[in-house]
Amino acid sequence: MKHLNTLAFCGALLGAMSTPAWAETTGPNGETATASSLVTVSDAQAETLKAGDHSAALLWHDQSDFVNAVTAGASDEFARLGIKVVATTSAGFDAAKQRSDIETALAKQPSIILSLPLDPVTSAAAFEEAKENGIALSFLSNLPAGYEHPADYAAIVTDDLFQMGKQAADALASSMGGKGSVGWIYHDASYYVTNQRDNAFKATIEADYPDIEIVAEQGISDPARAEEIANAMLLRNPDLGGVYVTWAGPAEGVLAALRANGNKTTKIVTLDLSEPIALDMVRGGNVVAIVADEAYELGRAMAASAALDLLKEDVPAFVVAPAVTVTADNVKEGWMQSLRIEAPASLSQ
Amino acid sequence: MTRLSSRLRGLDFQQAVVYFGFLAIFLFFAITLYDDGFLTQRNLTNIVLQTAPATIMAIGLVFALSAGEIDLSFGSIVAVSALSCAVALQSFPLPVGVLVGLGVGVAIGAFNGVLVAYLKLPSFLVTLATMGLFAGIARSMTNLRSIPVMNETFTGIFGSGKLFSVPSLVIWTVLGVGVGHLLYRHTRFGAHVLATGDNPRAAQVSGIKVPRVRLYVLMICGGCAGLAGLLYAGRLQAAKYTLGESDLMTVIAAVIVGGTALNGGKGSVVGALLGSLLMGMLNNGLILMNLKVSDQMIVRGLIILIAVAVSLRDSSR
Repeated sequence: MKHLNTLAFCGALLGAMSTPAWAETTGPNGETATASSLVTVSDAQAETLKAGDHSAALLWHDQSDFVNAVTAGASDEFARLGIKVVATTSAGFDAAKQRSDIETALAKQPSIILSLPLDPVTSAAAFEEAKENGIALSFLSNLPAGYEHPADYAAIVTDDLFQMGKQAADALASSMGGKGSVGWIYHDASYYVTNQRDNAFKATIEADYPDIEIVAEQGISDPARAEEIANAMLLRNPDLGGVYVTWAGPAEGVLAALRANGNKTTKIVTLDLSEPIALDMVRGGNVVAIVADEAYELGRAMAASAALDLLKEDVPAFVVAPAVTVTADNVKEGWMQSLRIEAPASLSQ
Repeated sequence: MTRLSSRLRGLDFQQAVVYFGFLAIFLFFAITLYDDGFLTQRNLTNIVLQTAPATIMAIGLVFALSAGEIDLSFGSIVAVSALSCAVALQSFPLPVGVLVGLGVGVAIGAFNGVLVAYLKLPSFLVTLATMGLFAGIARSMTNLRSIPVMNETFTGIFGSGKLFSVPSLVIWTVLGVGVGHLLYRHTRFGAHVLATGDNPRAAQVSGIKVPRVRLYVLMICGGCAGLAGLLYAGRLQAAKYTLGESDLMTVIAAVIVGGTALNGGKGSVVGALLGSLLMGMLNNGLILMNLKVSDQMIVRGLIILIAVAVSLRDSSR
């Protein structure tokens, strides 16, 4: 075990030496990242919180396995701290509904709000009343424009975005034997989370793998167009060794294109768990790895940061939860580590 | 007793559904959520504020449906109008921004109207196509970016301001319903709309310019969507391409529950207001009940299904 730790340390050191100096996740305003494992509420602090009759509202942007896992992480932590969850909403990516959800939840006078602001611009006015009421705000991934830490919010909690992109690059490079040509399908929108992940993949390939060349770059804003984008990319680059796809939704389209072309050699790496993608991976198809975040841990850290803010403790402005590389060998463990649910039955058949 | 029963017989059941439904759901939430802030003045005001844009859209749709037409593109018009207004406000004074926002809405409505009224294309297909067309334009006109609205006079008039302690969105709702009701019930144009929806051939024979009525109702629908876009932009202090996208089904349900017939010839602006408030009240109450999001959707869907079924079943008799 000791040897393994030493090896891991040496590996990390080598990795740190070969990646660029800026190779880390930074906040929307350049904040330095703090590991989520460092944001914890002690048992003594939990007792103080239990006496405070606090409540929380979880005002999410959408519904998904990811949001369910974040909710579970937050709910479990709130239960430990004696904080009652009084409202849960989903805005369905509608900025106007998110504002309405906030107003409605305020009728229950929560002490804490956990939320993913849909958009820095539209969210600024939406959270204004909650901010003025002194509610402890912990944000997932995005920050409303003009909000200052620690006066306006407790923390932004997000994935270790750089690590997600880097681990995707490492996994793809490893599957290609460290050489060949790669296509880079990135999210063509000004969105902090995907932009950081996509750029981390590209930077890692360029800095750490001199024998791998990114020969095709294509942005995507509509996941439904992934298949035609991949077809065009394969037409121009028939010997493509691998493709990075910005997240699992469009990766399903890329996979469909490869299958339609009878292509069994081009490798795919993507981010965020998806059953069809994972199924291809465990069956030895084109997909070699999926890099996921620890969604449950994100929820726990959001709850903890807001609770610490209620206690007037110092909370780091920008908190990141680790990334996990899921391959055919660890799909069950990876699923559990990321979402805290069993992997779908189809993956163990 | 006899007088009461004769009055009940004369009551339009379809239009009454919304009144009974509204009252029943209000009483249910008032009792079950008494300790959860439902009955507070602030929460009840919030419901009106949150539904103001949908109410304005619903008024436009009452005119279109009553004339036997439908507009599926109003959600996309909301986004294009809000974005056009926000972009204009960055360089021009407030009146120009407002005129641009409203003008874009009316112009798109006129575009739909010309295709329907003079090229004789079905409004369902025309507006289904223009819904996609203008959703694409909304996305491309600012390259998916949200545009902040910094003009405080604008955000006061169309969003967060108050006049004599009455929130501006409440004033817009009252104004919209008042003007819409007058136009619909107490003008020749309103009668022409109903006659066109009831029997277009008979309306034409009796001298009503049916194509012009069809053009005008779709222009009203576009104008109402444009105003709803301004209200969203004022409320959020920003405009985004997604504004209005998710309102299509809610607004159609509000209008149908409010007593407007899907096949024309019958409708109610006041009913549409109550239908819209009912939808807002459902959203609000189900959140305050602390139901899971999926359970909120199931319960909301079931209640709307029951209300629409009861309302349409009676009208088909």
